[in-house]
Amino acid sequence: MTSPADTPNAVRQDKYYLALPLGQRAPLRVIVDKRNLLANLLLLGLLILLAGVSLNIGSAASLSLPATLRALLGDGSPLDTFVIQELRLPRVIAGIVTGGAFALAGCLMQTVARNRLATPGIVGLDNGATAFAVASVVGTGISLAPPAMALTGAAVAAALTFGLTGRIGVRGYRFLVAGIGVGAVFGALTQLMLTRVSIDAANAAYPWTVGSLNARPDHAVLSLSLALPPALLAGIWLTRSLTVLRLSDAVAISLGIAAGRCRMAALSVAVILTGLAVAVAGPVGMVALIGPEFARQLSAKNTVPVVGATLAGAVVMVAADLLGRMLLAPIEIPVGIVTALIGSPLLLWILLNPNARTAP
Amino acid sequence: MTHDAPACERDTAQPDTAPDMTAPDMATQGLSLAYGSVAVIEDLDLQLPAGQVTAIVGPNGCGKSTLLAGLSRLLKPRGGTVLLNGTDIRHQPTRQLAKRLALLPQQPHAPEALTVAELVRFGRHPHQSWLRQWSPEDKRIVDEALDMTGLTPLAQRPVDALSGGQRQRAWIAMAIAQQTATLLLDEPTSALDLGHQVEVYELIQSLAASGKTIVMVIHDLVSACRYADHLIAMHQGHVIAEGLPGETVTPELVRRLYGVECSLITDPVTGAPLLTNIRRTRDALDGSAT
Repeated sequence: MTSPADTPNAVRQDKYYLALPLGQRAPLRVIVDKRNLLANLLLLGLLILLAGVSLNIGSAASLSLPATLRALLGDGSPLDTFVIQELRLPRVIAGIVTGGAFALAGCLMQTVARNRLATPGIVGLDNGATAFAVASVVGTGISLAPPAMALTGAAVAAALTFGLTGRIGVRGYRFLVAGIGVGAVFGALTQLMLTRVSIDAANAAYPWTVGSLNARPDHAVLSLSLALPPALLAGIWLTRSLTVLRLSDAVAISLGIAAGRCRMAALSVAVILTGLAVAVAGPVGMVALIGPEFARQLSAKNTVPVVGATLAGAVVMVAADLLGRMLLAPIEIPVGIVTALIGSPLLLWILLNPNARTAP
Repeated sequence: MTHDAPACERDTAQPDTAPDMTAPDMATQGLSLAYGSVAVIEDLDLQLPAGQVTAIVGPNGCGKSTLLAGLSRLLKPRGGTVLLNGTDIRHQPTRQLAKRLALLPQQPHAPEALTVAELVRFGRHPHQSWLRQWSPEDKRIVDEALDMTGLTPLAQRPVDALSGGQRQRAWIAMAIAQQTATLLLDEPTSALDLGHQVEVYELIQSLAASGKTIVMVIHDLVSACRYADHLIAMHQGHVIAEGLPGETVTPELVRRLYGVECSLITDPVTGAPLLTNIRRTRDALDGSAT
């Protein structure tokens, strides 16, 4: 029998923190991966920086940092305060919550499907949510997409995809193919609706078809902001099970994980987040691909970077929106087009690079 | 003696790390297993002896892997029950069952760059919870599992950089860290060369010697005779022979299982039966064998 000093640390001191060991006999012990902690702090710093820049720069006026801060606290000139608090801050918040929601949904779905391509956008959830949102816009003439409609659309698309395949299955190929088909049907429905209505109604629905932070309905932002924190907590709670579920269903079940239930929980969270995020910004699905990939590059291998993906998604969304506003100012490029421009090469890289095709 | 732990045992402050080393008996009663509408096993009654190595053998498609899937709750029975210590495994929460019963699937795949220590750590999963992700007890058991499988020097190496035998030992180490009294293995030596096969079989034997009940599905009848205490021969979903390998394996059984003729001799060293002069039967040559 070797003494503990001779054997390697199964949990290496240099790679992990053991958080909250409350005394010798206390059961509260949480493993925190040092690299993931560092990655999350880095992403959080980046997010704060980008949010600050977004508040500063705009077509109305580029304010100095002190002026921005004063306006943020309601202490500046009335004009500055209006620009910051009424125009820019809601937009930045909308960007953070939608980006975080899309990327968290993407991270969860990629993990349960064991496939990097299985993001909500690619398996048709975005299109389902968009079709329902557009239907409500062109059908009723109200220029609001009720989050409930988009949520229903995402759920219908998920139910169809799930129903067609029965289960997400090994490596998720069938799920992916069925999802692409379901997404195509909903995409076609959206186009059909837009061609059958008046040009004004089609114009009102336009932001939801390309993805933009311009037409964000306040109540949709509120619903998403309320849903995101519990969804993130659920994701963090599921991380332990998802980390083992990455191996294989048989191993996970043998280790005591209710694989089916875990998968349904992750999928449900992803559907809710996607539906509510589409209601705010339209189908900016590429964030669900870019965010988790960005987080995975920064995080420790063989972990499921739930928090990292959420932060990275928010970073990508705010950065893309900022780029879209700055590049051809004063003309604004919708954020959905900017993320598609960044995301498409990434998608091609994943498809063509055999190493990237491995399960997330 | 039963080990039906109360449900409240789950998250008590005192870690229930005392290994359940009383060899349990595993049995099936009227077990029927099917994939979709295809019935593979029907109404099977089986006793798996406690504290021994049981080998399940049979031709391809005889239902032996299906049986293992049923025993390990991967496949829900169409009828009948799987009993562990007299209790239906379906009536136990999957996490509680994971402290009593471990399964090693056939050729499991480890994600890229996962280290041996990280893999073995997963074995502690059923004993942990979100608020108690690691304990000194966990560390001791993981280190012990690495030690038992001779993988201590390789603990920080990626699993996919190991040889086939080392890789299989790493997976077995994960199952050891799970500290279950029963271990099910699906073809633990497939795709391994002779040296690595022996490495794995001897490890399995030492686990049985330490009190575990082992059930393994294997292809190689000679290895089954050499390393198992109990042999179960399956053909088309039925158990057609079971017992001590030396008494169970006959030329007649080999003909029924695999459609080949052979002669049997006794291994002068181990006393296990050896197959020799193996050739196809006339039936097989006529193409009329089942």
